[in-house]
Amino acid sequence: MVQRYSKLMCIVLTLLLVLSLAACGNSANTATTDASSVPAVSSSSGTTASSGSASQPVTIKIYTQYSSDDEKQPYDYAAAAMKKLMPNVSLDLEVEAQDDNQKIKTYAAAGNLPDIFAVTSDLVTLFKKSNNILQLDSYVKQYGIADKLTETSQSLLFDQDGHVYAVPNVGQWAANLFINKDLFTQNNIKVPTNYNELLAAVKAFKAKNIIPLAIFAKEKWPAVQMFDMLVTRTQPLGVVGLDTGKTQISDYVYKNAATKFIELVKAGLISKDAFNTSADQALQQLYTGKAAMFIGGSWAMSDIGDPKNLGEKADILYSVPFADAADADATKWNMSGGGFNQGFAVSAVSKNKDIAGQFAVQFGYAFAEGRVVKRADPNPIMKNPPPPEAGYNTMQKKYIADSASFTSMTAFPWGITNAKLGTALQDDCQKLLTGDYTVDQFVQDISNSLK
Amino acid sequence: MNKNLSYKISVCVFTLPTLILFTVVVCNPILQTIYKSFFDWDGISAASFINIQNYVKLFHDSDFFTASNNGLIFAAFLVIYQTGLATIFAILFANKDLKGRKFFKSAYFIPVVLSVTVVSMLWLTVYNTDNGIINKVLKLMGSPYRQSWLSNMKTGIYAVAFVNAWQYMGIQMILIFAAIKSIPEHYYEAASIDGASSFQKHIHVTMPMLAETYKFCLVLAITGGLKAFENMYIMTQGGPGTATYTLTYLMYSAAFRSNQYGYACSAATILVVQCLVFTILVNRFVAREKIKY
Repeated sequence: MVQRYSKLMCIVLTLLLVLSLAACGNSANTATTDASSVPAVSSSSGTTASSGSASQPVTIKIYTQYSSDDEKQPYDYAAAAMKKLMPNVSLDLEVEAQDDNQKIKTYAAAGNLPDIFAVTSDLVTLFKKSNNILQLDSYVKQYGIADKLTETSQSLLFDQDGHVYAVPNVGQWAANLFINKDLFTQNNIKVPTNYNELLAAVKAFKAKNIIPLAIFAKEKWPAVQMFDMLVTRTQPLGVVGLDTGKTQISDYVYKNAATKFIELVKAGLISKDAFNTSADQALQQLYTGKAAMFIGGSWAMSDIGDPKNLGEKADILYSVPFADAADADATKWNMSGGGFNQGFAVSAVSKNKDIAGQFAVQFGYAFAEGRVVKRADPNPIMKNPPPPEAGYNTMQKKYIADSASFTSMTAFPWGITNAKLGTALQDDCQKLLTGDYTVDQFVQDISNSLK
Repeated sequence: MNKNLSYKISVCVFTLPTLILFTVVVCNPILQTIYKSFFDWDGISAASFINIQNYVKLFHDSDFFTASNNGLIFAAFLVIYQTGLATIFAILFANKDLKGRKFFKSAYFIPVVLSVTVVSMLWLTVYNTDNGIINKVLKLMGSPYRQSWLSNMKTGIYAVAFVNAWQYMGIQMILIFAAIKSIPEHYYEAASIDGASSFQKHIHVTMPMLAETYKFCLVLAITGGLKAFENMYIMTQGGPGTATYTLTYLMYSAAFRSNQYGYACSAATILVVQCLVFTILVNRFVAREKIKY
């Protein structure tokens, strides 16, 4: 009797295991986009339907981010737009893993890259060298993409070698210091306009048990961005100067920036738990009044300025408070952050190279349009952007008005072409956040990593 | 003669598939890694031979020394915590008079079957500076000793090592427990006749009899510590900065973040050598004489 039950249990458990394994298949993170469920394309896209080469039904595999609304909404918008322009093309989406590009690099090494994939500058450099990425010059010309872009965005289209490898889907984002204005008013603390005032504000908030700056140091890039914001107060090239070789980490401006960075941290700038804080958690600290300031890219304006979150209580200080009083006005529009050669690229070994090329350039443009329509991107790449569905919030309006005054931009860490430098900056700037790291160590470690 | 030959052929036939599999899955990647460590290679493009430059760079890299040091700390932590506690628990649970021993044996083994991600996330919450249970308890006790456990560059590695030690202590406990159960009862009876106390019986009978098991446990703990990766990846991403790097994490960072596969291979080669050296040392100095029952 017991033996019979044992056998039965064995069979049931085996079947359960087989079913579980089957359920763990790759269908969970892939999805074929259903264009019927998303809105129709804006008439302002201006792209033209593809020629006869794309008349047969084709499924294109695309590898890109699709997790937050900031990624999903423009993607769905672009997919719907492309369904009208190239109806024979279906998209098979594989959601990009947040894994330091392990997966995409492994795909490339195995000669198995998806037809279309999202790239950043360091990937363009890597895949160019290994002949894994297709030049898109002819497709960009065919669809007149360059003519539709603003003057500043045209520079993002071309790589350092003058060719196009990806059509940018975002514009020149700046890195900004966001504040909760109410918290400053309630605690009678002056909104900083220069470095000394920032230091005083940090100390004042710290004394009141309010986190001065919500930083999501669980990710390594915000520390680099803060360092860049400090550098750009005296050197407009910021960390890009190191990438292009025009400046050295041992230059006074970088040492001075690191000194101020450490001084702010020692004054209590960040929470002790900042290294375990995610972007969402940091934003919640800002929204709920636990933190007074927040460092993030301009894309965060859409959420921070939403009335459901901070709305009118929010303001944007750019990088101004990181400057000495004497330099604050002169360097006001030296912006940290910026655009870079990124977007949707095409695999050089794709079986549907031509269709993927046509699709990618139009999809990239439509995606950028989706960012404006769905996410109220205040810094569109196109000359004639469509109006955002929900309009712009106050902070975005301010950004749009001010953006005409921007005199220089740098880059975000993923826009740095030298991967060794990018990694070293991310690791060593995060060490600066601990306050247990000296300027000399910082300079030495960055220098050594570049040897 | 024919029988002898037939036996040898049988041995070859039965072991060959495993040997081939082992060669393909283990030996070949190790040899490839050693070979690639002499190249400047980004993992995708063509590689160029640069002799021993990767090793020269590695031995001048402060992160290499941080990583090696962390590996040793991790290994030492695992040996002390896992093997030490596992021995105590195994001896306790081997005592048939102890009530609830089955429950505790299962309870201590449960973390082993949990995913590393689940355990790491659990401990991230426990370690939280503001709301973590450790700091909350310290606060309730009136102690001002509140720590940012994972954010300290000097102590972060201990906090991460503890998580790994806590999770996998159960494996060593079961191994040692099984070994204790296999010790013939008459050894203890003889010790009892000689007037040995319970403590003396464990010191003079149990411990020497466990030497072979300890050898295996030590190799498991030391190599596990040297090549630790998952907990860092989930809990600290090697940070703050590179403070919780181990050689495996250095290898990962070089390969996937900096596109320096050749350099990563040199770190991997050193890791293999480290593991090999420690395994040889353990085999050389622990349980040198074969135990016979």
